Amino acid sequence: MKHEISALMDGELFEDEAEILFGQIKRDPGICSDWAVYHLIGDVLRQPDSIHRDMTERISERLRNEATVLAPRSRALKQKVRVFALSAAASLMAVSMVAWMTMQISPETAPQLAMQQASMRPVNLQIQPAANDYLMAHQEFSPSNDMNGGASYIHTVTYSPEEKSQ
Amino acid sequence: MKAWVGFCGLLLTFNVSAAGGQSTLDLLKAIAFAGHQTDYSGIFVYQYGNHVETSRIFHIVDANGEYEKLESLDGPKREIIRHHGQVWCYSQHQMVQVESQQGKGKFPMLLPDQLSALSENYNVKELGADRVAGYETRVLLLYPRDKLRYSRKIWVDMNTGLLLKSAVLNDKNQIVEQYAFTELKVGKDADRAWVYSSEVKNLPGMSQQDSSKVVAVVNSGWVVDALPAGFKKTTELIRPMHGNHAPVTQLVFSDGLSAISVFVEPVGPGEDENEGLSSRGALNLYHKVVDNHVYHVVGEVPPITVIQVLNSIRYNGK
Repeated sequence: MKHEISALMDGELFEDEAEILFGQIKRDPGICSDWAVYHLIGDVLRQPDSIHRDMTERISERLRNEATVLAPRSRALKQKVRVFALSAAASLMAVSMVAWMTMQISPETAPQLAMQQASMRPVNLQIQPAANDYLMAHQEFSPSNDMNGGASYIHTVTYSPEEKSQ
Repeated sequence: MKAWVGFCGLLLTFNVSAAGGQSTLDLLKAIAFAGHQTDYSGIFVYQYGNHVETSRIFHIVDANGEYEKLESLDGPKREIIRHHGQVWCYSQHQMVQVESQQGKGKFPMLLPDQLSALSENYNVKELGADRVAGYETRVLLLYPRDKLRYSRKIWVDMNTGLLLKSAVLNDKNQIVEQYAFTELKVGKDADRAWVYSSEVKNLPGMSQQDSSKVVAVVNSGWVVDALPAGFKKTTELIRPMHGNHAPVTQLVFSDGLSAISVFVEPVGPGEDENEGLSSRGALNLYHKVVDNHVYHVVGEVPPITVIQVLNSIRYNGK
């Protein structure tokens, strides 16, 4: 089922297969949550400014489980101190963990990682009109002239929206 | 002409996926020939990202060869005319000649070895029938064996073999760019009056073959080490380039469906030292200054491929 959901998200399913799967997602809350989790993973990987996550379920669950404190005040304070000490220890560990991980990345591999990330990001920068000579020179030798005919020259005559506004 | 249309029609009725290699080759050959031999005129829509534009295209073959015109219907006026390997472009309110190639203009341009390269580097899958611009088409998917090139989905007219729609897909099956005819007239219905218009007659340099500027060379000394498998060098030349102070060396590599051009020139005064990647639909361009030379790599290939190619350019001459 997980495989099918992933295929659906990648647009690899045929229309009728997708219809059936959508039906299953609607009926089965388990599959529905898988669907949501897959989208969350996708969103995180794409690193958007904000990530949509339905948290109502979890918040109400936490509220339900929240114990009503009936103990005397002094004891609650003591407990708070203990929790603070524990969380301080946890933060220290986290810091040293990050430091250790940073040291694991050698100076050589760091730029390579950056390079890989850069190439995976979609290219947002438009080819500048100044480079049109290169496109024209390239186009005359491209086999796309044979496959697509004159339509392949669209690359050399298309304009970017920025040009239009000038 | 009629015989050709019949032949293409016959080829297109074959089942590609069942018949294997040879019939795929024949089909691609039929598409390439149809594009050069058929008279057609029409309107197509081109789209990439958020950008959509409409253009009109004409393709007429007469005793003097192929005439082709592409003109934009929205945005600023842009126009391209091709005839006999010469290209004119509308620039600053007039048509100027931008390219001319020696001995070119005779179709087919798609050589047999390029065709076989295509079937070596791409798998072909038949996706059934569809309708485009009112015509019945067959849909084919040409998908590569690696992630260093794009897939193509093409809609081929069953009668003429013309491509009526074409989409470029990345390795995640997302559309990088596509174009589709919305209106098409084929054969005797095609609009041919413009070929005999004063616009075509008055094209500068139309009569003489001014092609002395571009020089073909066998070995410029520049080599590329990290080409994706299946890319072979198809052309190597030295050319003057508009606005450039020194001649530019151009190497072209092709895998049968896509091409990668490598341009090398000495650094000029006021050269932009920044390296950068930019794109226009399926075309990606990466440029960089290395050891007093400017490299430009352009191709209908993913960004990672133009970067890989540029980073492996090397001078191997004396």
